Amino acid sequence: MITLEHYLMVSGMLFAIGFAGVMVRRNIIIILMALELMLNAANLSLVAFSRFHVNASGTPNYNAQIFVFFIITVAAAEVAVGLAIVVALFRLRQTTNVEDITALKF
Amino acid sequence: MISLPAPHLEIDVLVLGIAILLFETFAARVDKKIFAYVGILGLTLVLIASFFLAPNSLEQTSAFWSFYTADGLAIFFKRFELITTIVVLAMMIDYAPVMRGATDRFGSNLGEFFSLPLLTCAGLMYLVSAIDFIFIFVSLELVTISFFVLVSFSRKDAVALEAGVKYLILGGVSAAFLVYGITWIFGVTGETNLQRITTAFASGNIDIQAATFGAVLIVVGLGFKIAAVPFQIWVPDVYQGAPTPVTAFLSVGSKAAGFVVLIRVLKPFLMLPNMQRLLVLLALLTVIYGNLAALPQNNLKRLLGYSSVAHAGYLLIAVLCLDGPAMTFYLVAYLLMTLLSFAVLIVVSQQNGDEISGFNGLGKRQPLLAFAMVIAMVSLAGLPFTAGFFGKFFIFAAAIAQKQFLLVAVGIVTVACGFYYYLKVIRAMYWPAAGQPSVQNEIITISPLSRLIMVALMVATIVLGVYPQPILNALKH
Repeated sequence: MITLEHYLMVSGMLFAIGFAGVMVRRNIIIILMALELMLNAANLSLVAFSRFHVNASGTPNYNAQIFVFFIITVAAAEVAVGLAIVVALFRLRQTTNVEDITALKF
Repeated sequence: MISLPAPHLEIDVLVLGIAILLFETFAARVDKKIFAYVGILGLTLVLIASFFLAPNSLEQTSAFWSFYTADGLAIFFKRFELITTIVVLAMMIDYAPVMRGATDRFGSNLGEFFSLPLLTCAGLMYLVSAIDFIFIFVSLELVTISFFVLVSFSRKDAVALEAGVKYLILGGVSAAFLVYGITWIFGVTGETNLQRITTAFASGNIDIQAATFGAVLIVVGLGFKIAAVPFQIWVPDVYQGAPTPVTAFLSVGSKAAGFVVLIRVLKPFLMLPNMQRLLVLLALLTVIYGNLAALPQNNLKRLLGYSSVAHAGYLLIAVLCLDGPAMTFYLVAYLLMTLLSFAVLIVVSQQNGDEISGFNGLGKRQPLLAFAMVIAMVSLAGLPFTAGFFGKFFIFAAAIAQKQFLLVAVGIVTVACGFYYYLKVIRAMYWPAAGQPSVQNEIITISPLSRLIMVALMVATIVLGVYPQPILNALKH
């Protein structure tokens, strides 16, 4: 039997992997992918919570599922803008490695 | 008497922004600055309309009103964001020559530069009205994604792109933390509406550990937006790299909306044990770090970046005391003095760059600009007879009322520390250090519009420093 805890465990692992990816990886494209992973971890647990929080009438709590659609839309917009910035950066500096962009310092 | 429902204000701003975007696509030949003037005019009309809102009526029982509120705080901050955007658009007109050189062809996309602040403004106005986590998230992302574009707008400038990438990654991480926190709060309470979450928390029938986990994640996500330590790492770089009007917009508009959301969200969260202690820790770190890191800065934009971190710390003190009026007054004072200093910086930096040494001897060359900068710096430092003084006074009074004596003590010491770096700018303008000749150049011309705005900001800073009643009264309605 798969319970709420199993879904939350997987979602927590996805979030942790995504966060580690943002911190550890050096390629901006990979960092954007890791960001998507973090948002999708939230989506997974939202759907799980929605499915297991049954209303009095026996239907799932649909608020969370609506929220998932908003998150998917926003994530798409964020990546569209993000990739545009990365392309502009690549044209100017021929790099997508975060270690090469160090013009701004303390 | 005309009266319109509150949500029409945002819709008007959105329509205006999209209309400007469309016109600029199909009208390639006109001078793009006209779009900025249209934007200023339109926003001024919306600002006037905001004084003729329909009173809250019974229609508000529809589902929309469980996402959106038009209470006094929301209406006040809608006007706040409108004024900020108007001033920022005026600054952008002054800044247009710099942007022309830094983008593609001859300012071919300046129209977008003038229409994006309008869309951002609509997002900020939605944000201060949001009382549901779904709505908070969506309007926050509308603001953040518009800012990604605005920050990295000068595509030929490696520094601006670097700032854009840093803001993009950290903004994305903060959004992910916020969403994950909202998920857990939903899991605990089964609600996304703040009012119903408060009820659920007050009933005590919840899993405290899971709720605290979610609340901490949400505070982390919002901490990025308001630039609280330790989530401030992006601030200096983004402030320095972004076009100066965008920096001003980011430091005033985005921060004010972040604090309004924070104070709404914290009302339920402060019921959780240990939340207050966590926020006190954040506030302490933020005031100390912001003030100490500003000390050695020589670039004025970067200095203002660290100073905005420090001000976020003082605002956090007001927020954790749940004192809405003190927070609001501080934000108004912060708007006046920060926009004033950025307005002067934009005019001066076009000839002398962003370094403080560029201000050497400005007192002799440009008495008006130098005097405006003096008012801004003195108010940021918090000297009496300026709005900044009453801002800090109300916040420390609120903290004393809540018996947060540690915060008050550290706050006052760090204010003293702030005198050093703010007055450094004043010294450069009037008494440049020996061996640093004052910069010689032709007379700087100031456009009538920015002259008007500077004088208005100066007068407001001083008037509120003597007579703070108008703002306090405006909140009561």
